[in-house]
This record gives sequence, C-alpha cells and structure tokens, in this order.
Amino acid sequence: MIRSHFLNLVVFSVLVGVFFAFLTQNTTRDRIRIMVLLGGAMIVLSLIIAYVMYPFPMRS
Amino acid sequence: MPADREEIDSPPALRRVSPWLPCFLAWVFPGLGHFFLGKRRRAVVFCLVVLASFTLGLGSSGCSSIIDGDQPLSYLATFDNLALGPLDLVGRLVTFGSLAYRLPVNPSDPRRLELTDRLRTRVKQVTYEYGNTFLLTAGLMNILLILDVFDLASGRKQ
Repeated sequence: MIRSHFLNLVVFSVLVGVFFAFLTQNTTRDRIRIMVLLGGAMIVLSLIIAYVMYPFPMRS
Repeated sequence: MPADREEIDSPPALRRVSPWLPCFLAWVFPGLGHFFLGKRRRAVVFCLVVLASFTLGLGSSGCSSIIDGDQPLSYLATFDNLALGPLDLVGRLVTFGSLAYRLPVNPSDPRRLELTDRLRTRVKQVTYEYGNTFLLTAGLMNILLILDVFDLASGRKQ
C-alpha cells in the first residue's frame, strides 16, 4: 500500500497524535497542541534515532 | 476563550448506566461506546482513526495473529487483535481465509500447513511489518477506548 518508510512514519504519527489528543484533552486548543507535540515528537525522534543508527552496519 | 463545542453540546452529566454496556459497545465497534455516552465528536474521530489504522494494516499485508504454543507472545498479539471485536473477524478472513485462532500443534497437520502457507505469503510482502504495526496499534487503541469508556461511564472521568 504505502511503500515509503517516511510516509508510513508520518501517517502513523498523525493517527496516534490525533487519537491521544482526543483521548486526553477536552478543548480544541489543547487537542491541537497535543497533536502537534506528540506527532512532531514521534517524527523528529525517529529521524534522530535513524541518523544515530546510520553508521552501524545491518550485518556484522 | 470560548468553550469547546463538544463541551457545550454534551449533556452536563453523562448517562448513568452500568459501565459494562458502553464497554461492550466500544468493543463491538470503535467509538460506539463514546457515542452512546453522548461524546459524539470524539466517537467519530476515534472511529475514523481506528478504522484507518485497521484498513492500512490489512491493506499493507499485515496479519491477524494466531496462537502458536511455541511462541508465548502470540497469545498477547491474538488478544490485542480480539480487542477489535467483529472487525477482527474481517482481519482473520483476509489473512487466513477462515476464522482461525490457533495453529494446530501437530507439525504435519494439513490445516497447520495451510495456515502457515497463508502467513508466509503475507510475511514476504515488503509492507508486512508496517501492516502488522498498524493492525496491532488499532487493537491497542480500541483497548484504550474500552478503558476510557469504562472510566467515563463509572464517573471517574468527565
């Protein structure tokens, strides 16, 4: 379906961000804040971890 | 700041019912428990998010989990799939072509060979890992929704 790693990451982050925003917050403003914070954090942290792991070989 | 629309639309006190009925409804279909309790906007969003995750999972060659005695974690994964209620039936029909929940123990059992063949076909797909992640996440989200509905219905959460 979606073959791009990055696109899968973005879609997954958005879905999880929206879900937790509506689960934990009651006002629109708070929901948007949590959506951006959670979704953004998942994307940025994943990219950082991927960058840090880049020098390591996949097979020894 | 104007109050959130949902807060205005929602009744001041949630329907006082046994928490088990909304929990059952939440299990039957994602978001139905919240809809029953008057949290309609949340219900629609939860329904869309869980269905999107489930559809992406199956569309990306994700597999419903099946209990394998040799793999203890398969029990947890199967429980997670079962949390999707009747949607899990769809997942199993797409994955196995039948409602299979446990791999036969005997390695030469033709049923076991048929099920593992079907699994292998999907596992070989490039997007299998993504699909599985989306499928398992849909189940986990529905478990959280069931717990949230329980808290709302029992008055622990407003």
